Amino acid sequence: MSELLIIIGREFRERVQSRNFLLGTILFPVFMVVVTVLPAMFDRGGSERHIVVVDEAPPGVVDRFIAALTQQSTEGELENRYTVERVQGPFDAVRNELNERVLAEEIYGYLVVPAGVVDGEEVSFRASAVASFSVLRDVRRAITTSVQAARLQRAGIELTELASLLTPVRIHTARITPTGEDGTDAGASFLLAYVIAFLLYMMIAFYGANVLRSVLEEKTNRIAEVLVSSVAASRLMLGKVVGVSSAALLQVLIWAGSIALLVTRSDWLSARFNVPPEALDALRVEPLLAVVLIAFFVLGFFLYASLFAALGAAVTSDQEAQSLQIVVMLPLFVPLLFLIPLTTEPLGPLATVLGLVPFTAPMAMPMRMAAANVPGGQVLLSLVLVLVGLIAVGWLAGKIYRIGILSTGKKPTLRELGRWLRMA
Amino acid sequence: MSDALVLEGVSKRYAGHVAVDGLTLTVPPGTIYGILGPNGAGKSTTLRMVMNIILRDAGRIALLGADPERDRKVLRRVGYLPEERGLYRKMKVLDVVVFFARLKGVDAREARRRGVEWLERMGLADWRDAKVEALSKGMQQKVQFITTVLHEPELLILDEPHSGLDPVNQEVLRETILDARKQGRTVILSTHNMYEAEQMCESVCIIAAGRKVLDGRVRDVRRQNRGNRFRVEFDERTAEIERYMAANGGVRMENRQGEIWEVELPGGGDPNRFLSELAGLGVPVTRFEHVEPSLHEIFIQHVGNASVAARRPEPVHV
Repeated sequence: MSELLIIIGREFRERVQSRNFLLGTILFPVFMVVVTVLPAMFDRGGSERHIVVVDEAPPGVVDRFIAALTQQSTEGELENRYTVERVQGPFDAVRNELNERVLAEEIYGYLVVPAGVVDGEEVSFRASAVASFSVLRDVRRAITTSVQAARLQRAGIELTELASLLTPVRIHTARITPTGEDGTDAGASFLLAYVIAFLLYMMIAFYGANVLRSVLEEKTNRIAEVLVSSVAASRLMLGKVVGVSSAALLQVLIWAGSIALLVTRSDWLSARFNVPPEALDALRVEPLLAVVLIAFFVLGFFLYASLFAALGAAVTSDQEAQSLQIVVMLPLFVPLLFLIPLTTEPLGPLATVLGLVPFTAPMAMPMRMAAANVPGGQVLLSLVLVLVGLIAVGWLAGKIYRIGILSTGKKPTLRELGRWLRMA
Repeated sequence: MSDALVLEGVSKRYAGHVAVDGLTLTVPPGTIYGILGPNGAGKSTTLRMVMNIILRDAGRIALLGADPERDRKVLRRVGYLPEERGLYRKMKVLDVVVFFARLKGVDAREARRRGVEWLERMGLADWRDAKVEALSKGMQQKVQFITTVLHEPELLILDEPHSGLDPVNQEVLRETILDARKQGRTVILSTHNMYEAEQMCESVCIIAAGRKVLDGRVRDVRRQNRGNRFRVEFDERTAEIERYMAANGGVRMENRQGEIWEVELPGGGDPNRFLSELAGLGVPVTRFEHVEPSLHEIFIQHVGNASVAARRPEPVHV
């Protein structure tokens, strides 16, 4: 077996056998499920709130309020469900009794609707603690609808017209692709783009730092001295980069596999957790897109791993490595910085440029592709450019590595780095 | 069989100073060869140039007949123990030794077999599945030594092999090195412990400030460096002997059994005349020898006292 494979094998095994790998592999899908399923569960289920309305208002206002609150909550427009009990004012007559009921946790809270509410007098909501934000929002929404209706009626607008006049507008979003209209909504593709970008960023940050540290370990431990007496430095670096990348890729594939499994089981999941099946739609990815995503991921990862390897060979201490790590990762921040233009204007000039520069493309392209239908030629060009960038960076990094891995003590100046490049 | 290592005019310059300056030496095959010198003399730099870890500025190196800079493959036939040791801390002991052996071309199963054997031999059998970081420093050193020899190299290059080991493990290592020599391997070791060198090495090269001070077989080096000091032993002590010795600057060796004196060769410097004078003292001479200096003494004489202050062992006279 060639030395390269032995090195790759060792690097791969060291990563895969570590506790972090196991933990990350398990935790990430759990995290994904939590992130996608939990909000849906709360959306739907919500909590049941029992509230009291103290009615001092003109006739009709509280009726409409109750109707709005209960109706809208059953339609899923509100975040909670409500049962409402009406108590006739004046407020002072029932105040003590209501306060006691709140303290006994018999009711969540009560709303006082004063006589002058239509003329702008404020309503008050009282609960044992400060009322939850979502409850306040629901209540405000319902009472606003009701009071607005009363004002409109007073202005002479017929009650029957009101319902149609006040109907909120709904928006259906769709993406246009050559195969026809795609029903996924903007939220879903934005989420996918965000997940991909975040994932690549996370993996490069984690495994890149890992490459850096392990090169530094070999260097400071003088393992490198023994290694280069058996293996050429360039192969050592290649072995490390490929070994670590394989571990990272394996982890990503496990994640992708478990997510794919989740998606195929979405019916079961939605039944089990009482969420709509659409909640998992964000996780659905076309096979071709998946292949392209993985290609970008692999190339991008190699690119940065080579940079990190060269950095690890050039520095002499952990502290130094940490401060320079940021510099290497800087190009990765750029697509995150332009997350909004990348997803809202994925075909604009800025997004196009970010999608072609080798250092930003591995993150920018998947984001663009999730948000829009990027022309295939551009995707191909981007892949080629990233590959060319990778070869160039790998070549330079190999030279820095060759000299740096064995030189200890004083840290090199930029000029010395330049000399290393010419020497190697 | 060609020489295991030949250096001709090898030099290494760093920005501020010359680390190795025109070093020339020859290591015959099948011997234990010591490179001796004070700290900073250039021992490690020399060995690292031989291993092609750093590039030489000038000179020629023939390692097992090949130039390591052009023919990297020759390095596989060498086992190298660097001065500063290091292993993958997170790896299991047996895995680590197998890994390094496989890199040198040993088949995985064979590497495992030899690894188990060696761990046994070094008293580390119980630790084979432990992580390297769980081992004490001395144990880690032994593991590192195993990685140096597991691929059964023709030549062992050991940079300060004994440093950091306790006396028991130093002895284990010493025996292992002597064993390797018995199996026909060549061993090059660097040290600044003269006592250790004298015990193990057949040939040495003493370097200081990057230059060779002297080299050759230990026997020859000592013979060439003996002064005019003689050691004489008589059967008994007499006033006549004491008078003679007092007149000639002889010193009685108080700490020795018997009547032993050391004296600078007096009168004209002819050993035979000196011996006949001693015989004329009327007491049988039971021993008469030309005192050979220890490597330690030679070293101090040539390199200077300052550089070996620390590790001075009990002086040994032979």
